[in-house]
Amino acid sequence: MAETLRRVLNSGSAAGPAEESTAEAGPPLLLLGGPGSGKTALLFAAALETAGEGQGPVLFLTRRPLQSLPRGTRAALEPLRLQKIRFQYPPSTLELLRLLCSAHEARGAAPSLLLLDGLEEYLTEDLGPQEAAYLAALLVDTAAHFSHQGGPGQGCGLIVALQTQEEGDSGDAQPLALLQRYFPAQCWLQPNASGPGQHCLRACLEPGGLEPRAEWWVTFQPDGEMTVTQWPTQAGDTGSHKGSSSEGQS
Amino acid sequence: MAVAAGVPTLPAVVEELLSEMAAAVRDGAPISDEHLLSLKFVFGSSAVQALDLVDRKSITLISSPSGRRVYQVLGSSGKTYTCLASCHYCSCPAFAFSVLRKGDSLLCKHLLAVYLSQVLGTCQQLSVSDKQLTDLLMERTQDA
Repeated sequence: MAETLRRVLNSGSAAGPAEESTAEAGPPLLLLGGPGSGKTALLFAAALETAGEGQGPVLFLTRRPLQSLPRGTRAALEPLRLQKIRFQYPPSTLELLRLLCSAHEARGAAPSLLLLDGLEEYLTEDLGPQEAAYLAALLVDTAAHFSHQGGPGQGCGLIVALQTQEEGDSGDAQPLALLQRYFPAQCWLQPNASGPGQHCLRACLEPGGLEPRAEWWVTFQPDGEMTVTQWPTQAGDTGSHKGSSSEGQS
Repeated sequence: MAVAAGVPTLPAVVEELLSEMAAAVRDGAPISDEHLLSLKFVFGSSAVQALDLVDRKSITLISSPSGRRVYQVLGSSGKTYTCLASCHYCSCPAFAFSVLRKGDSLLCKHLLAVYLSQVLGTCQQLSVSDKQLTDLLMERTQDA
C-alpha cells in the first residue's frame, strides 16, 4: 500500500517522476502521527489518487464526518473522483467490527482502497490485546476479501491512520507492536520546525520488506493547502543516523 | 503455495518447509521423517498437536457465496476456534498469550494445523450463507 502513498507524496514534488499506477496493492500500511499532523489530509489525498485511476470505489471509514474537505496537493476535487469515495461512520468499536464482519454482504463493485481514519478512537481501554488484534486482522481480512472479489489486477489496498501519543507521554508500546504485526508498512509523520502560520512535517515511509525507506517534507499553509517536497538527501541515505532517531521516538 | 498468500507473515524458513512439504504431497509422496523433525524443531510440541488435529480432520474451511473464507478448528478440548484465512489470527487463548503478548511463539497449534491441512489437502469444506458467515465472524466479538 506504500505505492499509493508514495504516488500521493511524489505527485506534489517536482522531483518525483509520475509513476505508473501499479495494480499491486502491496502490504497494509499504518499511517502514524501526532494530533494535527495531517493524517486525514494524506488519507484523503490517497483516496482521491486511487479514485482517479479508473479503479473501483474507495471505502473511507472514520468515526466523525470530516469537518471540511482537506485541500489536496493538486487541489483538484473533481466531482467524479469524489463520487467514488464512499464514507461510512461507524459510531462504536462494535459497529466497526460489524461493518468489517459483514463486508462481504455488500453489493456492488469491490473497493480498490480501504481507509480507516482515527483507529485510536476504536482502540478503547476495555478492548483487550486479543480484541485489538482481531480488529486489525479483520481490517486486513476485509481488504483481502475485496481483493479476491475484484479479481486479478484489482487488488484492494489498506491504509489505517493511528494517532500516536503526545511526546513526553511514555504510553505503553504494546498496542503499536501488536498493530505492526498486521501492518508491515508504516509511514511516520513527525513535526518539524514550523514557520509563522505554516506547519511543517517530515513524512518517513517504510514500505516493509526490502523496499528502501523514503522521506518527504509536508508543509501545510495557513489556508490548509498541502505542499510536498522530496527529502533532499534521499539518495545518500545515512541509514544509521536516521534509523536511530526514528527508533527513539517509536 | 496457498500458504499465507498475500501477506508475508511467516519467516522464510517456515514458508520453505511448508512449500517443500506441499511439493512432496503433490508428487504423491508421504511426509518424510525429515520434514516431521523440522516441524518439531521449529514449533516444538505444537507440531505434534497440530498434526494430531490434522489427523482427526478438525479443520474446516468455511466459505460463503461471496467468496469470503474463514477457518474453524475444533480444539482437543472440544472448543471451536476461528482462524482468519488472510492473516495470522486465531481466537484461542494460546494465540493471545504466547503469540501476541509474549511473542515467543510464531503460531498456535490451530494456525499451524490450518497451514498443514492446506499443504496436505485435508481440510473439511463447509458452505454457508453470507449472513451466516457474518454471524460466525461476529461471534468472536460478543464474548469480548
